[in-house]
Amino acid sequence: MEYFLQQLINGLTLGSVYGLIAIGYTMVYGIIGMINFAHGDIFMVGAFVALIAFILFALTSIALPIILILVLLIAMVFTACYGWTVEKLAYKPLRKSFRLAPLISALGMSIVLQNYVQAAQGARIKTLQPVIQGGFNFFKESDFVVTLSYLQIFIVLVTIVLMAVFTLLITRTALGRAQRACEQDRTMTALMGINVDRTISMTFIIGSSLASVAGVMFVMYYGVIDFYIGFLAGIKAFTAAVLGGIGSIPGAMLGGLLIGLIETFWSGYISIEYKDIAAFTTLVIVLIFFPTGFLGKPDIEKV
Amino acid sequence: MSNTLLDVQNLTMKFGGLVAIDDLSFSAKKDHITSIIGPNGAGKTTVFNCLTGFYKATAGSMYLNKDNNQMDLKKFSDFKVAQKAGVARTFQNIRLFPQMSVLENMMVAQHNKLMVASGFSILGLLNSRSYLQKEKEATEISKYWLDIIGLTNRADDNAGDLPYGDQRKLEIVRAMCIEPHLLCLDEPAAGLNAKESAELNKLLKFIKNDKKTGILLIEHDMSVVMGISDHVVVLNYGKKIFEGTAAETKNSPEVIEAYLGTED
Amino acid sequence: MGKDLIQKSLKDSLFTGIIALALFGPIVGLRTVAKNEVLVVEPKWLVVLLIVIFCAVGRFFINIYTFKKEQRRGEASSFGKAISHFLDEKGSQIAIGAIAFSIIFPFMPFADRYWMDIAIMMMTYIMLGWGLNIVIGLAGLLDLGYVAFYAVGAYSYALFAIHFGWSFWICLPIAGLFAGMFGILLGFPVLRLRGDYLAIVTLAFGEMIRILLLNWYELTKGPDGLTGIPRPSFFGLPFKRYPDEGVETFHTFFGLEYDPMQRIIFLYYLILILALITNAFTIKIRRLPVGRAWEALREDEIACKSLGVNPRNTKLTAFAVGAMFGGFAGSFFATRQAFISPESFTFIESAIIVAIVVLGGMGSQTGVVLSTIFLIGLIEVFRDFESYRMIAFGGAMVLIMVFRPKGILAKRKPTITMGKHG
Repeated sequence: MEYFLQQLINGLTLGSVYGLIAIGYTMVYGIIGMINFAHGDIFMVGAFVALIAFILFALTSIALPIILILVLLIAMVFTACYGWTVEKLAYKPLRKSFRLAPLISALGMSIVLQNYVQAAQGARIKTLQPVIQGGFNFFKESDFVVTLSYLQIFIVLVTIVLMAVFTLLITRTALGRAQRACEQDRTMTALMGINVDRTISMTFIIGSSLASVAGVMFVMYYGVIDFYIGFLAGIKAFTAAVLGGIGSIPGAMLGGLLIGLIETFWSGYISIEYKDIAAFTTLVIVLIFFPTGFLGKPDIEKV
Repeated sequence: MSNTLLDVQNLTMKFGGLVAIDDLSFSAKKDHITSIIGPNGAGKTTVFNCLTGFYKATAGSMYLNKDNNQMDLKKFSDFKVAQKAGVARTFQNIRLFPQMSVLENMMVAQHNKLMVASGFSILGLLNSRSYLQKEKEATEISKYWLDIIGLTNRADDNAGDLPYGDQRKLEIVRAMCIEPHLLCLDEPAAGLNAKESAELNKLLKFIKNDKKTGILLIEHDMSVVMGISDHVVVLNYGKKIFEGTAAETKNSPEVIEAYLGTED
Repeated sequence: MGKDLIQKSLKDSLFTGIIALALFGPIVGLRTVAKNEVLVVEPKWLVVLLIVIFCAVGRFFINIYTFKKEQRRGEASSFGKAISHFLDEKGSQIAIGAIAFSIIFPFMPFADRYWMDIAIMMMTYIMLGWGLNIVIGLAGLLDLGYVAFYAVGAYSYALFAIHFGWSFWICLPIAGLFAGMFGILLGFPVLRLRGDYLAIVTLAFGEMIRILLLNWYELTKGPDGLTGIPRPSFFGLPFKRYPDEGVETFHTFFGLEYDPMQRIIFLYYLILILALITNAFTIKIRRLPVGRAWEALREDEIACKSLGVNPRNTKLTAFAVGAMFGGFAGSFFATRQAFISPESFTFIESAIIVAIVVLGGMGSQTGVVLSTIFLIGLIEVFRDFESYRMIAFGGAMVLIMVFRPKGILAKRKPTITMGKHG
């Protein structure tokens, strides 16, 4: 029971990280109907920016809460630039091209980003000293003490706040309206006087900044990153997006939590070596038997 | 009744709460062109999609009389309807293989026959003479149909490069290559000019009279419908509101009401 | 007008500079290095400055050039058009020349060990490209896990050869069959998925196979890999300087001096033959009904169904045939290296092969050769620059797609013509 509870807490934390990345996949898929293969690497860049920022701020005497806010902001801004650039270089010129072309260019972008970070930051893993320490302990008298760390609370709280903000952004603002319109019919949206290019750019910027927040959390939670983390995290987050129903933002969050739970329970109860297999198997099963996900729209084949 | 080619009884198709086809019954005769007409959204294409296995009908029965064998179309899913029951169809928005040549389009339609002839590719890989013979025959059949629609000289051009009207005709003769018992045409005259429309009428009459293939037609162009239909079924909101000859349909108050609305 | 243009370009290049600063400032400019087990930041502002200046100035000149081009549209890209026209038209002549060249290649004066190794590597990629071309180029199924079949081929070859001591020519078809069966097994549930879903599922499968190879220690020796895979022999004659007692070797049989290059040249011809078989098979099967159905499925699956083509079986054959050739290539890889480990079968390999196919031009056999030479050559040129070579590789993928989205050879030849029969 205690063990189960601990896994649940860990799973929800991990799920928040996946969920935030998944939102980027879902938004981009919604608007241009394509998997952004470079999204996982954007997340990785976000983690690196966060790492660098933490190291720099550690030299100052700024209070921890302010550091956290600053790091989040810095990561979001700089990573958003990457998202914007990827869209401009690899997607925009190919928007009217045949469907495999942007996939290949995004794949190329992903390879570039990984190796660029490897070249600039080195191939070795980077470790970050714990930023937030301590937490609540439960069931102290039993053999297994359940820990809910402050960091976990921080991660879940930030995720909830961001989710609320972005849900409002999508449902209540002109930008969100433009995005939803672009999802339906890009040509028509352009004819209504909406700047489609800018809307798509904004989608990438928002998706990337959320991924960078996930990166900040990842580097704080695990304390270890390298240039390759984007690949696996990307696939898992994509699974989350599909599981929740691609195109749906609450779905992405829900899917993220599920994938986080599946992964922690699998490694907690079955096998830690094969923990990535759990995510992949989920992906395959979901796509085969359940391709619309939980909150996705049913995809009726138009004949 | 042996003259009945297609017998649809109580066909119903629901998408969630939306009833696209509501308890529709009609039949089509072997030597007839049967038209299904109705305002936009009446459920005409959905009928086709149920018949050709792209949708699974919620309820009802569909039987095809294939050489006096009653075939239950509900048993077949998409490609099997064409392969096993011999029901061919065209699409509202033309679906050719645009990057493949006109002749290749015709050859793909003879796929199942040629697959067997090529020994599921094994004989074909070995350059077997019997396969080459069959391939030549298939080319002849393609040429026969291309001659009829006057596209033989463009056989090696990409289908996507043909003018719109020719693409429509090509899609119809391509469907004929599977040697169907029933040919379902989804708005074949859409976007055609008067001359092309007349040519289409000729082609459809030829298929009906000379090829003895029953035709089921969805059409908006009334000159086509009235000109060639032997039988007309009128749908509105998924329900059959009228059935009769072309002339009867023209004068039916229900039909006029469905198209023009009622006067208050 | 001219002043306006300069002003606009300057503004734009200033913007580019700012973006470049944001991009490269933190990642390049602040390198994290471990000092006494603690990470510290090492500033590299000079590099950033150079990159930013390069980006801004580059952008400025691109602007000037493209604005000018807009003024004299028409003649602008005639050179590019001429090249692509030449490539599209002369594809078959290039192919014949290339085959002739590849046959005499080992006897070229410059063909030393280094060049032969590169040639063998390129030929392996060409074969993989041709195999995958069936799946992606003809059938239009974006398979991002092709390396899985390469791995299955390599491991089944290695296991059969090590444990049963069977010769290359027995293990090769078995490995191919194994890989093909794997293709059917994996393909069966997933092939009805849409384009990019299929891509991600195949990617997942590729990774699953790799994780399995890493962890199934009893069978695969995990990360240690399989060693001592028998080298191929020339119809039973091994390539050894000091053979076992009473065994005739290649050089004694033909009365030659022993030279390690003999084995290399043999391997080269082996992969050349395997690749040419793949090519001949593809060219032939493309003209058969199943090949035509592959291309038709790529064009329009719904239309195919309406004509009675069974999409699942048709896709499955493409998948299985592609996988089989991947398996053959894997066997060759295993026997050439004499050592295999999961490290050789990562996602990046799949990505390289996919890039070869797509950049070559979907379905074009000659295109595969050209893009292999270009891409593998590019990786080779940057060999000493570690991760920079993959940056160049990825960058090339983006650039080719942006400037020639249909690949190097875009023109498709019909599989049957009326002229031939009617």
